[in-house]
Amino acid sequence: MFGLIGHSTSLEAARSLAERLGFPEYAAGDLEMWCSAPPQLVERFEVVSATGARIEGAYIDSVFVPEMLRRFKTAKRKVLNAMELAQKSGLHISALGGFTSIIFEDMNLLREQQVRATTLDWQRFTTGNTHTAWVICRQVEENAPRLGIDLSRARVAVVGATGDIGSAVCHWLQERTSVGELLLVARKEQPLRDLQAALGAGRILPLEEALPEADVVVWVASLPESLSIDVARLRRPCLMIDGGYPKNLDSKAVAEGVHVLKGGIVEFHRDIDWQVVAIAADMARPHRQMFACFAEAMLLDFEGLHTNFSWGRNNIRLEQMDQIGAASLRHGFCALDLASQACRDPAAQPAADPAAAASQPVPAA
Amino acid sequence: MPTVESTPSSNDLAPSGNVAPVEGLPDFGSDTYKDAYSRINAIVIEGEQEAHDNYISIGSLLPDQAEELARLARMELKHMKGFTACAANLGVTADMDFAREFFSPLRDNFQTALAEGKVVTCLLIQALLIEAFAIAAYHIYIPVADPFARKITEGVVKDEYTHLNYGQEWLKANFEASRAELEQANRENLTHVRRMLERVADDAAVLQMEKEDLIEDFLIAYQEALTEIGFQPREIARMAAAALVG
Repeated sequence: MFGLIGHSTSLEAARSLAERLGFPEYAAGDLEMWCSAPPQLVERFEVVSATGARIEGAYIDSVFVPEMLRRFKTAKRKVLNAMELAQKSGLHISALGGFTSIIFEDMNLLREQQVRATTLDWQRFTTGNTHTAWVICRQVEENAPRLGIDLSRARVAVVGATGDIGSAVCHWLQERTSVGELLLVARKEQPLRDLQAALGAGRILPLEEALPEADVVVWVASLPESLSIDVARLRRPCLMIDGGYPKNLDSKAVAEGVHVLKGGIVEFHRDIDWQVVAIAADMARPHRQMFACFAEAMLLDFEGLHTNFSWGRNNIRLEQMDQIGAASLRHGFCALDLASQACRDPAAQPAADPAAAASQPVPAA
Repeated sequence: MPTVESTPSSNDLAPSGNVAPVEGLPDFGSDTYKDAYSRINAIVIEGEQEAHDNYISIGSLLPDQAEELARLARMELKHMKGFTACAANLGVTADMDFAREFFSPLRDNFQTALAEGKVVTCLLIQALLIEAFAIAAYHIYIPVADPFARKITEGVVKDEYTHLNYGQEWLKANFEASRAELEQANRENLTHVRRMLERVADDAAVLQMEKEDLIEDFLIAYQEALTEIGFQPREIARMAAAALVG
């Protein structure tokens, strides 16, 4: 049995969800109330693979909302309590969705294994970042040619290159594709140099210099609200994979010839009969689309791999990406592409996969 | 030296009466701490005494369980003695008048239910609400307690799970017959727990125990019990809401 640990994208979204689900007390509650609310296992559902295999899962709302990020103790408690609930509910492998994996990593919750009477078993949890990285790479490889971008000649900028997902994407693109040149963008200089040395390739550039050179931009970093992109200086065509959080690139890079694709999102081969996840995740096709990190928990359960497949920072190996990628295809997932995104409701704003944001904020341009 | 039979390791601890400040922990010797502790400690002592009395009373409603309930009751008295020793160790006199008044809403409701022979309500008040309240408070207290109290509380919290489990198992075995009364008793009593937590919040903060932690931990323990008893997640979330608002 697998678990998805998630949260609403804002307090307002959480209250709205509570209203729709028929919990008026929660809908009326302020931030203080939500800070005191315990995690909830809100629904259970079945997922049927393209192979015919069936697994059961559950969605746990951590009751965290991004407004709690400044309250370190609260944020930490929300994540640990949700993990404890997942473990006590007998879920064999649970994905830490949204901000929960970032909080786990940044607040070093590995030190907090004891939650009341429960010793957390790390083997039961995964960040889902391996699958997210694989999906983003696939989105690059599949969609660039469709726009007439020849990857073997293309410059691909990875913004947030030294993060968990970013570094995996860089290694994959360098070693498994014939990409023309990698442009490495991140906040800290030394990790960038280390990455460049490990890759044996790549050019380190500040964001404002990388963007005008790039045919493809992979964003796996948080975009500050203040960031503005001078679209006039972007190449045409330009493919932008928005794997960051919040997914607001499509409002910052609006121009003809600039194609923004929501990154790290997959679509399942058939509908999943979940109700709360459909509302909470806010996808264009809510019964089929989901974050790749959530899908990783399903894949691990389908494959009987009840282990923390994605764990820690910069531990993702290409062989693991091969393995999870093959499982992804076998069980009926496909990466969201420009064509399928375009034919759906363009007003729908899928919530982001903030795991991609890691802690790699981009300096304001 | 105090005798705390339920906490074997506490025999190693001699009350110091003088606890040196430890970095990151409250100043256990300060007047502010002792003042707050006089009420918090009294609540704990009174809570353990009432728990003892309540289990004996529930035994009168469930004669075939009276022996087991008397055993649980005896554990509560041991806890009470342990916490009394904690106050003595810090040179604090527990404010028992405050504590008796603090518990009066739940005590009154328990006594009314007892008089009406409502065993389900009695179990919900004592074995679920008060035990979950205690478990939450003890878990949050342990990391910020003085060394003497910490050892004692660590022993006590394990026992409180036994007590919560007792009520849980009985209600689980009688779930369908108890469901309506449980929901009613939840409505009538959970708001009292909320108000009790609100009342004690300032004093708890002096002990470095935060209100939102207390409420969340209480609800986690309470919700776990409701899950075990047989309620569905949506029912539980709705029942628990009474502790969050109002």
